[in-house]
Amino acid sequence: MRVAFFVVLLAGAIFYSYVAYADLNFLTRTGRPGPGFFPRLIGTAAIIFTLWTLVEELRKAERERTDPRKWKDVVILMALACSYAVLLKLFGGFVATVIFLGATLMLLNRAQPIKNVLVATLVPSGVYLLFDRVLNANMPPALFELPI
Amino acid sequence: MDIFADLMMGLSVAISPINILYLLIGAIVGMIVGVIPGFGPSAGLAILLPVTFGMDPIGAIMMLAAIYYGAMYGGTITSILLNTPGESATVASTFDGFPLAKNGRAGPALVMQAAASFVGGTVGVILITILAPLFSQVSRSFGPPEYFLLAVMGMLTLLVMIGSNWKLGVISALIGFALGTVGVDLETGQGRYTFGSAELIGGIYFIPIAIGLFGLGELFYAFYNGLHKTGTGGIVQYDNEERFWPTAQDWLSTRMTMVRGSVLGFVVGVIPGAGATIASLMAYSTERSLSKNSENFGKGEMAGLVAPETANNAASSGAMIPLLTLGIPGSASTAVLLAAFIMWGLRPGPLFMEQNPEFAWGLIASMYLGNMALLAISIFAIPLFVQIIKVPYRMLAPCIVVVCALGTFSVHASFVETYLMFAAGIVGFFMRLYGFSPAALVLALVLGPLAEEALRQTMTISRGSFSIFVERTPSLWIIGVTLTLIVLLPMLNRFGKPKVDQPAKADG
Repeated sequence: MRVAFFVVLLAGAIFYSYVAYADLNFLTRTGRPGPGFFPRLIGTAAIIFTLWTLVEELRKAERERTDPRKWKDVVILMALACSYAVLLKLFGGFVATVIFLGATLMLLNRAQPIKNVLVATLVPSGVYLLFDRVLNANMPPALFELPI
Repeated sequence: MDIFADLMMGLSVAISPINILYLLIGAIVGMIVGVIPGFGPSAGLAILLPVTFGMDPIGAIMMLAAIYYGAMYGGTITSILLNTPGESATVASTFDGFPLAKNGRAGPALVMQAAASFVGGTVGVILITILAPLFSQVSRSFGPPEYFLLAVMGMLTLLVMIGSNWKLGVISALIGFALGTVGVDLETGQGRYTFGSAELIGGIYFIPIAIGLFGLGELFYAFYNGLHKTGTGGIVQYDNEERFWPTAQDWLSTRMTMVRGSVLGFVVGVIPGAGATIASLMAYSTERSLSKNSENFGKGEMAGLVAPETANNAASSGAMIPLLTLGIPGSASTAVLLAAFIMWGLRPGPLFMEQNPEFAWGLIASMYLGNMALLAISIFAIPLFVQIIKVPYRMLAPCIVVVCALGTFSVHASFVETYLMFAAGIVGFFMRLYGFSPAALVLALVLGPLAEEALRQTMTISRGSFSIFVERTPSLWIIGVTLTLIVLLPMLNRFGKPKVDQPAKADG
């Protein structure tokens, strides 16, 4: 996983540098630093440092050993968080939050279903009151309005 | 006398019922942020920044500043009662704080940490009051070359403090710099990395990245480490103890510790990149080497708790000096505060105190009041914070995800920024897991555009010659200070390293 992360970073650094060299000028017509001045320096440095650390990583004798059990819950939470991002767009702030909290708590805290239901309804209500009523801040609008 | 008059004017601004209310809310929220393990002031500030949009700017900044220094107070409660630092700056407080609690002295330890935090915070604010105007005067002669060098100094000192993982720190900073180049180039009007997206024309906004990295990233990392599975069964029951208040001996034996910790913490806090974590560890090591009872350190010595507590609070005040007078944040938390200033159209720097005296002195005056409020809250509201510690992390975590998402959306009503926040959260998790520095990324994201603008202005002034950096006296001073720090900081860092291995996260 660690090597894969470095490879992704390297790919990002190469793409960033490609755009900097292909589309952005290093100097302006008057000889001053242009829009590509900083990006080219950053991109080149990023490629050098990422390659350096990647090579060091590959040379390491011992490979990382990760316990798959450590990953299980964090991957579930990440997946639920990403689903929540999609739900926000579809059903708006309040409904998406109720669904997200309900599903997450049912998975992570199975022993206390009543508490989970209470948290899944009271927290979104509190957040809605704080953001929408007290602070007059933006709450995500729903693409599909649910009949509630 | 000018300083006194300015401070009185600041007090008159700060002491309005609504501002006092904001200050108290900020202090309590800061303590709650500090109490929640794996949730530092940077995350708390970034997540709660959007909540302050509807407020008056002075009240909002007072509240955010109170969250910032309030987290230092709250973080120690879990260090003492649970042997789990609420945030990285309170790691050193576990060394003697938890043994004190185990020895049946949790009450005196909690009161002494509150008093030490108050002394450190107040001495820090007194030093800000005296030194900030002087710093402002000195920095008035600064031009674009000096601002570029200051930004470089801020990044270099942070990378030096990262130590053995410096290459990963450099990559983190480069990612931050790269994100900072997205958007329309203001000098030529050319789009950079916008790929035709209207949402990216204005650049990548700082808030979603900070909330993602420090809020979601830390939360995922805490899950990876199994924090949601551990209960709070190990919490020390302080209410069964015979004596809650410290003895006269506790006060007398630590009076000089408070003075030393405050001054040391403040000085370290002023240095960009060093921060409260380093300050607290250095204060602990200094106190242990000076103490006649050094063999008791780690076994429940009151000075071992008081030293890091005074230092981390004084450091958080010290970090406000480069922020207010130079506009250069020294840590991730002050970078978020800088973002808040910019959001309200304020640009901290040499002329900030002169052009916005009500704002600057109102903020400084509020810090005196905030520390007094925090002293009272952190002694008398301990049962409340103990209840918060008892809330299982598996129930708290989904609620934090909700606040992160809705807080991000509320800034610009942008789904793109909300998705960016979730992406930053996942990237932030892998960065933490593999030893990268989210603090360096955020600092570079803030400092990058400032540095680029300053460098391009410098090149215009000098007609493309880099010799301008060694021709001006202020530039030479900054180069000298930077080189000195690069040499000295690794030595200080080694000196401050605790003998006990404790997990610490860099807040910058």
